[in-house]
Order: sequence, then C-alpha cells, then structure tokens
Amino acid sequence: MVQSIIFSFLAVLVLFPAVLVVTSKNVFHSALWLILSLAGVAGMYALLAADFLFAVQLLVYIGGVTIVLLFVILLSGKPSDWAGRQVNEKAWAAGLFSLFLLAALGSFVSEWPLVPVTSAPKLTSGPLGELLFREMVLPTELISFVLVAALVGAIYFSVKKRGPS
Amino acid sequence: MSIQLFLLVGVALFSIGVYGVLARRNIVGILMSVELMFNAAGINFVAFNRYLHPDGVWGQGFVLFIIALAAAEAVVGLALVLTFYRGSKTVLVEKMNLLQG
Repeated sequence: MVQSIIFSFLAVLVLFPAVLVVTSKNVFHSALWLILSLAGVAGMYALLAADFLFAVQLLVYIGGVTIVLLFVILLSGKPSDWAGRQVNEKAWAAGLFSLFLLAALGSFVSEWPLVPVTSAPKLTSGPLGELLFREMVLPTELISFVLVAALVGAIYFSVKKRGPS
Repeated sequence: MSIQLFLLVGVALFSIGVYGVLARRNIVGILMSVELMFNAAGINFVAFNRYLHPDGVWGQGFVLFIIALAAAEAVVGLALVLTFYRGSKTVLVEKMNLLQG
C-alpha cells in the first residue's frame, strides 16, 4: 500500500516534468524540469532496490550532465531563440506518432504476465563490483577508453582555434 | 506493485522523448529528449532485473553502461553545439544545413 503511494508519486514526478521538458518554450526551464524528471527516475531505481544506481543517477545525471547542459544553454543561446516557436511544422505528426507509439507499446507491455518479486531487496554495490570486474571486465575497460576519447574529443572541439589555420 | 506499472512508466517516458526529438527546433532540447529516452530504457532494465532475475545484477550493470555512454554522448554533443554556435550563431536545427550544398 505504502509502495503504491510512493510509486504513484514517483510516476508523476517522472512524467509531468518530462512533458514540460519537451513543451516548455524556454530551454533553460526545460533543463530545470529535466533535473526533476531525472530525480524521479532515481527514485524509481531506489524503489526497484537498485541502491547503487540511485546514487550513480544522482551523481552523474543530476550532478554532471544537467550542469553541463545548463552551461551550454547559457553559452549558446540568445533571448530571441526563446521568443519564437519551439517546435517545427511537423509537430502534430510527431505528436500523433508518439501517441501511436505510446498506445502500441503500452498495450504490448500491459499484457505482460504477472511475476511476483520473490526475494527481499539487498545491497547491490558488492555484486555490481564483482560483475563489472569479473564477468564484464572487457566492456568495463572499453567504456573507460570511450570516456577518455569523449573527453579528448570534447576538448578538441570546444577549444578556440588560434592563429592562421 | 506489478512489473507492468514500471514498464508503462518507461513506455510513457520513451514516447515523450520521441516527441521531443521529432518536434523540437532547439538542438539542446533534442539532446535533453534523448536523455529522457535513455532513462526510459534504464527503468525498463532495472524493472526486468528486479522482477525476472532478482538474484543477479546484470540489468543494473547494463544501466551503468547506459549512464556512462549517455554522459559521453552529452559531453561530445554539447561541445559540437558550442562549436557550431560559435560559427553560425544559431542553435536551431533547420539552420544546420552546411552539408546541403
């Protein structure tokens, strides 16, 4: 019962700000709503007994990605961008398509067979560490390489070129 | 509390993200919608992990990879946005037609 109340609260916290992310005129407001929606997703992880992912979601998404987003919005926009229309001419088709997607996928997943949770929640940090550095050690090393490449690429793109070149 | 509720939240979040990607004119808004879609996939992964395989953590491991790749994608994408804005003074996607000829 308590879980259902928490779930409904979290569902509203995920979906209502998400709608405002894609509809609000001011992109800065969109980014602020995105923070709230991602916090709701972190709550979903906590409700699904994924404690380590809850912390990672808060640290990486809310502490990292959205801050970079806010910086880029402040550096790259001008107020006249926020005055005009924020959606293109085909927005009605996009809305129809996403409603169709919602109906199709929703009817698909609502026929999913009911599976009860059998085990009590337990801490996941230890098992996740063992998974990452035992079974998935090669993908883990690869993802660190990808992160370094993204870092170097981002610096390369965003540094101003000086002199004749 | 059944798995369908979590999957429905994931589906709704994904549909909202698809609408944002298709309809927004601002490139930063499109990147934010892509983040919403990543999070929908994450909710689905963790829900399946919890309900179908409650003793393992493979689904959560995949979500860690999704988060890492999303961070990398956001950093590179936003650096590209900054570079493009420096040259053309716009963030609207219909103005990004340098390769159109």
